[in-house]
Amino acid sequence: MGLSTATSAVSEAIKLCVFDSRRGQQEGQELDKILFFYPADLPFTKQLYIIGLSEGLITFTRTFSPEAACEVIEAEKHSHVFFEAEPDIWMVLVVEKNKEVLATWRMDALQKLLKEIHSLFLMFHGPIRLLLEKEPTGEVSRSHLYSFIMDYLSDFLVGKKLQLPSFVDCLKERGTVHMLTIGRDAAIEVQALVRTLDSCIENASCRSLILFQDLLVSTSLSPEDTTNLFSYAVLRLTPSVLSSSASSWSYLLRGNTVSHVTQHGGNVGNRVIRPLQHGKWSKGKNGFLETDIWGMEASGRVNSTPKIWPFQTEKQMYLYVHHHKSLTLILLVPASSIPNGEQGISIIRQYFLENASLKIMTVEEKLSKGWGGENAYHVGGYRYLLIDGDRQISRASPPGKVTTLTKESLLAMSKLREKIDLEKSRAKQDGVVEEKEVEVTIRAKNNAWVISRITRRKELYMVLEKANETVLYASDMVEKFSNRYCNGAFSLD
Amino acid sequence: MSSGLSSLSSSDELDNFNPRTLPTTPPKPLEEELASLALTLPRPELLSDQEDVNVVSDGSAAVGFGFGIQRSDEESRAGVVCEENVVGNSAAAVVEGATGNSVWEGIDGTGVMWGRTNSEIEVDRPVSPSSSGYAGERGSSGASSGRSEMDGIADDEIQELNDDEIQELNDDDSVGDNSNSVHSWVPGKRHGDEDDASISWRKRKKHFFVLSHSGKPIYSRYGDEHKLAGFSASLQAIISFVEDGGDRVKWVRAGKHLVVFLVKGPIYLVCISCTEEPYESLRGQLELIYGQMILILTKSVNRCFERNPKFDMTSLLGGTDVVFSSLIHSFGWNPATFLHAYTCLPLAYGTRQAAGAILQDVADSGILFAILMCKHKVISLVGAQKASLHPDDMLLLANFVMSSESFRTSESFSPICLPRYNPMAFLYAYVHYFDANTYFMLLTTNSDSFYHLKECRIRIETVLLKSNVLSEVQRSMLDGGMHVEDVPVDSLPRYRTISPHLGQQRVPSEFTERFKESSAGMGGPGGLWHFIYRSIYLDQYVASEFSSPISSRQQQKRLYRAYQNIYDSMHDKEIGPHKTQFRRDENYVLLCWVTQDFELYAAFDPLADKAMAIKICNRVCQWIKDVENEVFLLGASPFSW
Repeated sequence: MGLSTATSAVSEAIKLCVFDSRRGQQEGQELDKILFFYPADLPFTKQLYIIGLSEGLITFTRTFSPEAACEVIEAEKHSHVFFEAEPDIWMVLVVEKNKEVLATWRMDALQKLLKEIHSLFLMFHGPIRLLLEKEPTGEVSRSHLYSFIMDYLSDFLVGKKLQLPSFVDCLKERGTVHMLTIGRDAAIEVQALVRTLDSCIENASCRSLILFQDLLVSTSLSPEDTTNLFSYAVLRLTPSVLSSSASSWSYLLRGNTVSHVTQHGGNVGNRVIRPLQHGKWSKGKNGFLETDIWGMEASGRVNSTPKIWPFQTEKQMYLYVHHHKSLTLILLVPASSIPNGEQGISIIRQYFLENASLKIMTVEEKLSKGWGGENAYHVGGYRYLLIDGDRQISRASPPGKVTTLTKESLLAMSKLREKIDLEKSRAKQDGVVEEKEVEVTIRAKNNAWVISRITRRKELYMVLEKANETVLYASDMVEKFSNRYCNGAFSLD
Repeated sequence: MSSGLSSLSSSDELDNFNPRTLPTTPPKPLEEELASLALTLPRPELLSDQEDVNVVSDGSAAVGFGFGIQRSDEESRAGVVCEENVVGNSAAAVVEGATGNSVWEGIDGTGVMWGRTNSEIEVDRPVSPSSSGYAGERGSSGASSGRSEMDGIADDEIQELNDDEIQELNDDDSVGDNSNSVHSWVPGKRHGDEDDASISWRKRKKHFFVLSHSGKPIYSRYGDEHKLAGFSASLQAIISFVEDGGDRVKWVRAGKHLVVFLVKGPIYLVCISCTEEPYESLRGQLELIYGQMILILTKSVNRCFERNPKFDMTSLLGGTDVVFSSLIHSFGWNPATFLHAYTCLPLAYGTRQAAGAILQDVADSGILFAILMCKHKVISLVGAQKASLHPDDMLLLANFVMSSESFRTSESFSPICLPRYNPMAFLYAYVHYFDANTYFMLLTTNSDSFYHLKECRIRIETVLLKSNVLSEVQRSMLDGGMHVEDVPVDSLPRYRTISPHLGQQRVPSEFTERFKESSAGMGGPGGLWHFIYRSIYLDQYVASEFSSPISSRQQQKRLYRAYQNIYDSMHDKEIGPHKTQFRRDENYVLLCWVTQDFELYAAFDPLADKAMAIKICNRVCQWIKDVENEVFLLGASPFSW
C-alpha cells in the first residue's frame, strides 16, 4: 500500500501544518514556507490557504498584542490552534467542528499536543531552525518533520480517523509526568539505585529515569527533560508498549519514508531517523532494548546507539534502556564519554551486571509489592485531576473510572477548564502566576458538581456526580480530598 | 397617508424607509436620499446665530436625519422662515425647562423640535412642521452649505476633545485605577487624531469598529475613521478570507486580546479588546451597536449596499458619535447590556400604579408604546395590545434619547426603528423631558401624529403633576435603590419597604446591629458588596447600589466584568444554564444562583464565609420578594414574548 493512498483515506477533518514565515516571502514561492502539512495530499492551494490565513492573523494580532500573537481562531466550522514552536516557526492545528459528539475541544489541550510534538522533535533532532540553517533547501527538515509527526499522529488514529484529545479527556493533562507513590524504604532503595546509575561512567555526568509500568519512580533530569523522556517512554519504551506494539500499530505510515522523501525530491542519502516509529524497539540481551532506528554501525552488523539532545545539558547523549519485569531504566550517557555501538553498550552492560543488577531486583520487588494495581489512585466518589505546575506532575482518576461520568459532566468540566486555562494564561502574562488563587464550584444542569481550585501553581479539578445539592457539601468533599491526598494544599486554612 | 408599520407588508422597502416621500416628487435613489441626511447636519453656531435649523439644537448630538424630502426651493425657504419662529420659541422652552418650573403650558406647541422632518402634516398651526425645508434642500447651494456644516461639527468636536481629555483619562480603559472618580462622563469621540500607526491607539483596551463589506470604515471608537481605511480593509480581508474558505470567523485570540467579529449582511462589526470580557459578552455588545445603528437607519440601509457595494455609510451616521460612545460607555456600567433585561426606578406600588394608569389612558389612541423613564430606569410603561417591547430595544432607545442633547432641550418627534420589534420600518417617537432626568416617550406608527402626541403628553403631564408622581420620582432618585447595608438579617417575615420616604421606617434589629458591627464600612452583612437580581418572568432586573468597597468607577467596572464572566459561564449555550456557582478569587466571592424564576448574582468580600454568603443570598432573595412591587413593574400585561 502506497503512502498517498493511505493518507487520502484519512478525512480532512483535521489539518496540521508547520511553516516558517521567514521562507517563501517572494510571490510565487509561498510553497517554500511549508515544512509539514497533514494531510499531505491536500491540494497546495488549500495548504497555502491555511498558511495564508495563519500568517495574516499573526501579523494582524501583533499590531495589538506584540508579545503574544495569534493563538486561536474560532470560526463557525473550524478551530485553528497556533503554537509558535520556534521564532517564526509555527505549528497550526485545524480541527473541524461537526455534529459528532467528540468534536468539542479544549484549546489548551490541543496546544499542549503541538507543544509535545515539538518538544519531542527537539529532543531527537534539535531545533528546526538549526536544521534549516544547515540545509537551506529545507528538504532534510521536511523529511524529518514528516516522518516524525506522522509517526506521532498514528497514535491518534481510530480506524481511518484521527481522534485528537477532546472534552472526554478533560481529566488528563498532557505534558505532565505521572508519579508512583512509594514507601519510605522503597525510596531509600531507589535512591541508592539512582546513585549507582548516575555514576556509571567515571568523570561523566550520567542521568537516569526509572519507571514502574507507566509511572515515574525517579529522575535525575530537569523537569522539562523528564517530561519529554517520560512521554517518549510511555509512548514507545515501557514493557506494556513493547508487548502490544507488535500487533496494534497503525497503517498510517507503513510505507517506506524514503518514498516520501523522494517524492519531495529530498536528499535520500540523508537518512531519516524515526524515533516514534512503531515496533522498532525490542528486548535484547541482558534486558537491554535494541533498535535500528538510528541505523547500523559502519560494520553493518550492529545497531547504532540512540542519541538524544536533552535541554539541560545541550550535549548529545546516548540513550540506553533496560527492562526488568515492570521496571524501565533509562540511562543517558554523554556521547563524548563512551564509544558508539557495541563497544559502548558492552561497557554499560558490564557495569549493570556488576553494580546495579541486585539493586534493580530489590527495587522491582519492593515496588511490585506496594503496587495497588491500575486503580491504585482511584478515590471512591471522586473523579479528579491534580496538577502540580512547579514539578509538571499530574495525577488523575483512572481512565476506566472517568468513563463512568456522563457526557454533560465531562463537557461542563472541559468548559470550566477552558475558562481556567484563560485565567492562568493571563496571570502568566502578568507575571503573577504564583499568586493566582481561584476557587470555582459549579452545580451543572445535570446536578453534577464541577469544581476547580487553583492555589500556588497547584490545580485541582473534580467532578462529583450523585452528590448532595448544597455548595457546602461540595466544599466539604474538596476539603476532605485535599486533607487526605494533597497534604491540605487546597484546604481553606 | 399610511406609513410606518402599516406599510410594513409593502414590498417596496424604499417606501418603508422613507414612507412619506411627497407624491409630487419622483423617487430618488436611496443612497442619494440617505446621503442628503448627512449634508444637512445642523451646526451649533447656526443654531445660535441664525436660528434657522429646526432639527436638533446641538450639533454634536445631532442625528443627521431629514430624510430626503423633495420640495421646491420656495417651499424650503418658506420653511426656513417659519422655523425662525419655531426656534425662537424653542429657546424659550429650553430656558423654562431648565429652570425646572412646571410652566409647561406656556410652551404651547411652538417649541417643536424635529428630529427628522419628513412629514407632511396638515394642521392649522402657526408653524407647520411640514414646512421644514431644511432636510429637503438639494442642489449645489444646499450641498455646499451642508458640507460646511459638517466641517463645523468636526471643528467643534476637536475642541470638545481637548476639553474632555481629562475626563477621558479617568474613563479610559487603558488608564490606571482612579479610585475617587465620581465624575460625569462626557460622551463623544475620543482621540480622533489617532490612527492605527499610533502606539497610543494600539494600546487602547477596547476598540469597536464598524465597516462595510467592501472594507470602508463606518465607525471607530477611537481614531479618525478616514485615517483607518487601511486598517478597516484588513479587517474586511480577514472576514472575507475566512468566508472564501467556506467558513465564518467568530473570534481570534492573541495573548490577552480577543478580536470578535460579527457579520450583519453588508455591515461588519469588530471588537478588539483586552478587557477579559468573554466572547459572548463582546459579541452581545456588537449586536447592540448594530441594533443602535438600525435604530437610527433601519435595516433598509442594506439596500444602499445592494445598489452600490462601495457605498460610504459614514455620512449617514454623521453626528451620531455621541450615541455610540454613550452606548459603549454603558457596556461598562449598565448590566442591562448583558442581562437583556431592564430595570425600574424603585417607587411605591401605588405611585407606579398611578403612573401606569395615566399612560394606559392615552395608550389606545394610535400609540404603540408609552414609556416614562428616569435615566435608564423605567417608571412605567404601557404597550398597545400584542405589541411587546424587547429590553434591548428599550436600552437602545433610552441610550439614543439620553445621549442626544437635543432631546433634553425641547420636545421632539423623531423617526426611530426598534430593531427587535421591526428592523425594517421606522416608528415615530415623541420625546419630552419633564425634568433633567425624567422623560417621556410615545411611540407611534403614524408620522402625522405629532400634535396628537403632544396633546397626550400635556394631558399626562398634568395628571402626573397632580398625582405627585414626578415628585416621588425625584425623591426616589435621591434615595437610591436597594442598599446592601439594608439586607434584613433576621429571618422574621415582615413587609419591608426600601424607600424610607414611603412611610415605613426600618427598625434595625439586634441581628442587623451585630452584622453591621462585623462589617462596618465594608458593605452589607456577611461581607455582601453588591447584588443583581433578575426576574426571568418579568424580563427585569434590580441591582443594589454600590457599597463603599466598590465606590470607585474602576472598581465598579471590574465588578461588572466579573459579573459578565460569571453570567457567561452560567449560560453556556451547549450545556447551560448551570444551577449554582460559587467563585472565589483575589477580588471577590461571587455567588450565582439560576432558577426557573430568577437569577441572583451576588458579590462579597473575597474573605467572606461561604456558609454565611449562602445565607445572605437567601435573605436577599426573600427581601426582593418582599419588595417586588416597589422595585419591579408588575402586570405590564402586553409583555408577551
